[in-house]
Amino acid sequence: MSMPVSTGTRPAPDAMAGVVATLTRDYGARAVVNESVREQHSHGEGLADAGLPDIVVFPHTNEEVAAIVRQCHIARIPVIAFGVGTSLEGHVAALYGGVCIDLSQMSRVLEINGDDLDCRVQAGVTREQLNAELKGTGLFFPIDPGANATLGGMASTRASGTNAVRYGTMRENVLGLTVVTADGTLVRVGGRARKSSAGYDLTRLFVGSEGTLGVITEVQLRLYGIPEAISAAVCQFPDLKSAVDTVILAMQMGIPVARIELLDDVQMEACIRYSKLEGFEARPTLFFEFHGSDAGVQEQAESMQSIANDQGGSAFEWATKPEDRSRLWKARHNAYYAALALLPGTQGFATDACVPISRLTQCVLETRADVDATGLTAPIVGHVGDGNFHLVVLFDPADAAQRAKAEALARRVSARAIAMGGTCTGEHGIGVHKLGALVEEHGEAVELMKTLKRAFDPRNILNPGKTVPL
Amino acid sequence: MLDPTVHAALASILPPAALLTSPEDTRPYECDGLMLFREQPAAVLLPDNEAQVVAILRRCAEAGVPVVARGAGTSLSGGAMPVASGVVLSLAKFKRIVSIDPGTRTAVVQPGVRNLAISEAAAAHGLYYAPDPSSQIACSIGGNVAENAGGVHCLKYGLTVHNIRRVRGVLISGDVVEFGGDALDASGYDLLALVTGSEGLLAVTTEITVKLLPKPQYAQVALAAFADIEQAGAAVAAIIAAGIVPAGLEMMDQAATRAVEQFVHAGYPLDAAAVLLVESDGTVEEVAAEMADIRAVLERAGATEIRVSQNEAQRLSYWSGRKAAFPAVGRISPDYYCIDGTIPRGALARVLKQIEVWSAEYGLTCANVFHAGDGNLHPLILFDANRPGDKERTIEFGDRILELCIEVGGTITGEHGVGVEKLNGMCSQFSPGELDRFLGIKAAFDPRGLLNPGKGVPTLARCAEFGRMHVHHGELRHPELPRF
Repeated sequence: MSMPVSTGTRPAPDAMAGVVATLTRDYGARAVVNESVREQHSHGEGLADAGLPDIVVFPHTNEEVAAIVRQCHIARIPVIAFGVGTSLEGHVAALYGGVCIDLSQMSRVLEINGDDLDCRVQAGVTREQLNAELKGTGLFFPIDPGANATLGGMASTRASGTNAVRYGTMRENVLGLTVVTADGTLVRVGGRARKSSAGYDLTRLFVGSEGTLGVITEVQLRLYGIPEAISAAVCQFPDLKSAVDTVILAMQMGIPVARIELLDDVQMEACIRYSKLEGFEARPTLFFEFHGSDAGVQEQAESMQSIANDQGGSAFEWATKPEDRSRLWKARHNAYYAALALLPGTQGFATDACVPISRLTQCVLETRADVDATGLTAPIVGHVGDGNFHLVVLFDPADAAQRAKAEALARRVSARAIAMGGTCTGEHGIGVHKLGALVEEHGEAVELMKTLKRAFDPRNILNPGKTVPL
Repeated sequence: MLDPTVHAALASILPPAALLTSPEDTRPYECDGLMLFREQPAAVLLPDNEAQVVAILRRCAEAGVPVVARGAGTSLSGGAMPVASGVVLSLAKFKRIVSIDPGTRTAVVQPGVRNLAISEAAAAHGLYYAPDPSSQIACSIGGNVAENAGGVHCLKYGLTVHNIRRVRGVLISGDVVEFGGDALDASGYDLLALVTGSEGLLAVTTEITVKLLPKPQYAQVALAAFADIEQAGAAVAAIIAAGIVPAGLEMMDQAATRAVEQFVHAGYPLDAAAVLLVESDGTVEEVAAEMADIRAVLERAGATEIRVSQNEAQRLSYWSGRKAAFPAVGRISPDYYCIDGTIPRGALARVLKQIEVWSAEYGLTCANVFHAGDGNLHPLILFDANRPGDKERTIEFGDRILELCIEVGGTITGEHGVGVEKLNGMCSQFSPGELDRFLGIKAAFDPRGLLNPGKGVPTLARCAEFGRMHVHHGELRHPELPRF
């Protein structure tokens, strides 16, 4: 099968030069053409793709973003929205050059409505910044993809993370958006009402559209009361199957665990070394976190421990103090770097399969056997409560054959998940790397996605080459 | 009247009993739950498999015949009202529960399955389907998807869009498309969210995968009485602000409790200006802890009386009045008009007070019964269509309530949909930029506008017309629109 690609066009050089000149005039020091800044804006944290933007602009207001997009619309210049560059699938690569809109200076929390449990932020606010500003209100924003991403970027990629099993993904937690459409019109969608059946669900259509339908400039988010009690625990298992089976049983019983993370023996070894986790063995391991009232947390933990025991799990190692908890989750968040450190000099990328929970054991075990057969190093780590897990596939960038083998492995991971009724991407998105898998997963529905893309962006200037093969 | 060649083509797809054309046969389909609007279709089609649906849509697309899909016909906004020149495509025969998988906690069902039938079938596995519109004994899951239906428990468990994984549907072109997938998230644009709540304008649903939840071990409901409706509204906000997410949080005002008490005899306190129902579910310990918190907040908020259900029979009896509120009001008034505005919870007290003032001004009784936790109001304006001027004043009163909802940052419909009823309201709520996107989406799915025409999304021309008629506070709405 040939890889589907999404196409765009490089702008005419004089049109591009014209826009660069106007932006430089209008934005002064906030319009940058310096090559190192452009290079820094050409990739996220995944593997690099070719393509620098011609200019990077740092707007401060909705109106500035709208004005920039309007100019690009007239001149038919690609527009790539950029948060802090933590995406993994080449979402921000300027494949056809153009204008990169860096939203990081739009970093104000605009309103916090404690009584209604919602807030509105500019797109460049990061999730850690929001939670810092919520300190003292008794509220928090739970979605935690690991990286300290911007909320605009998280909305664009429909991010989730370690506690989606309890709080949902950005899909459930974005109430409304301010978006600049392809022709530079400012549109507010959704709102503060908790439900609405008026009109099509534009909010959810923009969430996860990866900057291809509009540029998100503000996000209205749901907030949650900080739970009365939080505790975390670690449980180690004799083999991968018993760890995953534990997760499935817990989910089927409906235990409302807040986080449940799987690390296989290879990943556990990497984390023990990299994050100096003491007292653990390099065995398949589950990290848990429980939220609720004191009584509720205790009850959840007891049910969880008894399921784990039946599967041969160890006694829970508890982390109830905030600093112990954050050490544990920091080790989890650094899993990617820990994996890279296993084989110095290698590069890595993450796969993102997500399957119905009842197929999880089969999918994980087959994937692990597949990895072993290739001889590659590719530890498994995942938000298994959602049926979502990642391989961090390591390869030597100087070894073309090994890279090909790694990429083939990743394609098989996507295909396996899709064959089991799952998806090639539970949370990282399509970007440029998974266009082929999108077609495999959705078939006829991709035609509708293309038609929608054309309806929203007839000149194909919004993040061209991403998300939908045109 | 159907064109004879179209009739012949449809007759070759469907057996005679599944193709109704005589006026006496099509009469039952002339309206849905909103009986203010009626129209008789040229034909009613009753397919029983997807291949027939595909063939019907393909034929109708070729001939340019409008198609209105219909479930159980319980829509409150005219979503299933027929088009005179078109056909009604009833999904009533799609009533099979295809499978229930306790392992993934999902069920695959056909669109004509009743909402409650899913929970009844899943009960054998200790599971249930969470969204529970009051019409759940009758309404179909396909209709729930079309309207993004909610219910009394959606505060904690979400709307239809949060409780389905996959929809299989047929486009007007006859192409079969799967929206969403069986995993937690599907890749690409969120088409599942787009078709959910699309009121039959984008596709005809033929199969749905719903999520099932484990039945809570235990549930209790607190019934709290208030001497003042604003105080009750403030109590709702206080519960949410305290970080409590009750399984249900409903309010009824005095007009409503008096109407239902005569009907269900649940022992509601009739002297109270407002009654709140607050439900907690979970394990016995969790419910006990949460109920104690709820009681404390209600007391602080000035409740004059708090009763907590002590057994399941009592819990159901407290709920019985809420669930039967619409029929109960139907008994005491010749006609009523149900409004569905939804507002940020913080604005509840203000909006309720204003409704009280207007009720006196218009001389029309308004019974308030609603999903307070979501901020979803259901003011029921009681009127008598046979009394001159009543209907007009009712509609004006309703419009003012909806305008106020928009003004405080809310929406004209929380769960009943736009249908034919709220097209003008759409012009007030949405900017031309948004309406433009809506029309673009519709065109992407159904370029000729054959699926459920005249519903859901107004044309820009209609909004311009409405704006001309409806000059609000001396301001012309959408002055940037071309006038016709």
